[in-house]
Amino acid sequence: MAGGGSLGGGEKPKRGKNSNRKKKKRVGFHLDMTPLVDITFLLLTFFMFTTTMATPQIMKMAVPPEREVDVQVMESRLFTIMVDEIGRIMWHQAQDELQMTDIKELRKLAVERNLMPGMKNEVITNLKIAKDAPYGLVVKILDELNLAEVEITKELQKDVIPRERKFSLNLLNEDDLAKIAEEMPADEVKEENQ
Amino acid sequence: MPKVKKKRVGFVIDMTPLVDITFLLLTFFMFTAKFKSDAENEQKFIIKRPQASPDTTKLPEVDLATIKVAFTDSTMVDTSYYFTMTNEEHFAKIKNNTEGLTNEQKESALIKVDLFTLEKIVREVYRVDYATGALNTKFAIDADQLLPFDWVNNAMEVLRKNNYTTFNYVTDKRQ
Repeated sequence: MAGGGSLGGGEKPKRGKNSNRKKKKRVGFHLDMTPLVDITFLLLTFFMFTTTMATPQIMKMAVPPEREVDVQVMESRLFTIMVDEIGRIMWHQAQDELQMTDIKELRKLAVERNLMPGMKNEVITNLKIAKDAPYGLVVKILDELNLAEVEITKELQKDVIPRERKFSLNLLNEDDLAKIAEEMPADEVKEENQ
Repeated sequence: MPKVKKKRVGFVIDMTPLVDITFLLLTFFMFTAKFKSDAENEQKFIIKRPQASPDTTKLPEVDLATIKVAFTDSTMVDTSYYFTMTNEEHFAKIKNNTEGLTNEQKESALIKVDLFTLEKIVREVYRVDYATGALNTKFAIDADQLLPFDWVNNAMEVLRKNNYTTFNYVTDKRQ
């Protein structure tokens, strides 16, 4: 015969001294932290991907102020770099002929020209640019010249000469355009042949 | 009933430090996140900046006036000048004092201008700058690398005429 009384599933039979009376009072605070951590990771990845830490970088540029009197320069000291609209880079010293160069040679050329014996540290670099020359190329050239400055300053420090950089930037004028057309005409023959 | 011993393998990983570090990283990124300014939100065009060697100088974050020169859209047919300033009070004053601006332009943080209006604005910037006594405003030219140099040269001339002889080109790092 089965023990009577256990109708609803398993009560502990009372035995002895009411050992079942001490009911553990369980307060139902069971906080599951899983969603909290989930959202935290989500926010973290969001901010990781959307934060821009670096501000854009810049290249310092200086232009001469408006001058009423034109400054006289010694022509022999003038190192002119010309950029035409197709992006060709040419140079000449004083009134000599134009010579071609390209962006990779430019740094070496600038260093060499600025350190030429007899004119060390006195060369005036004059950058002349065509109206339609691409701006990106101009910045590349300025960058190369800036890099050349580092080498020039290092060289001059060996002789304890403080570097005085003389530089100017203009558009190509009529005379310059004529000089280019005469001495370095753009190759139009290639296009015709093709 | 046979006694079945539960074989307990000792893998108890306490996740507490993980969650600690995560919260730390989260607060770090929350505080260093920069949100787009009004001017950046209004900019509908893209500027592909020219590349230059990395330099340690960064664009100033306060008292900066930027002249942007860009193609108005991806077809690269039209070019225009745009102007913006970080200092909002000064910018509001300048926009009010410059003639030739539409009401819509006066409301926006990034204004599209032609060279003539740009010159008027820069002159006004100089006036306001001079009046406050500090001459703090720094200029930057942010132009697309495919533009003809003439556009940028004209912007430089405007700055030169108004006594802003040192300014910055905004560039990208050289690859």
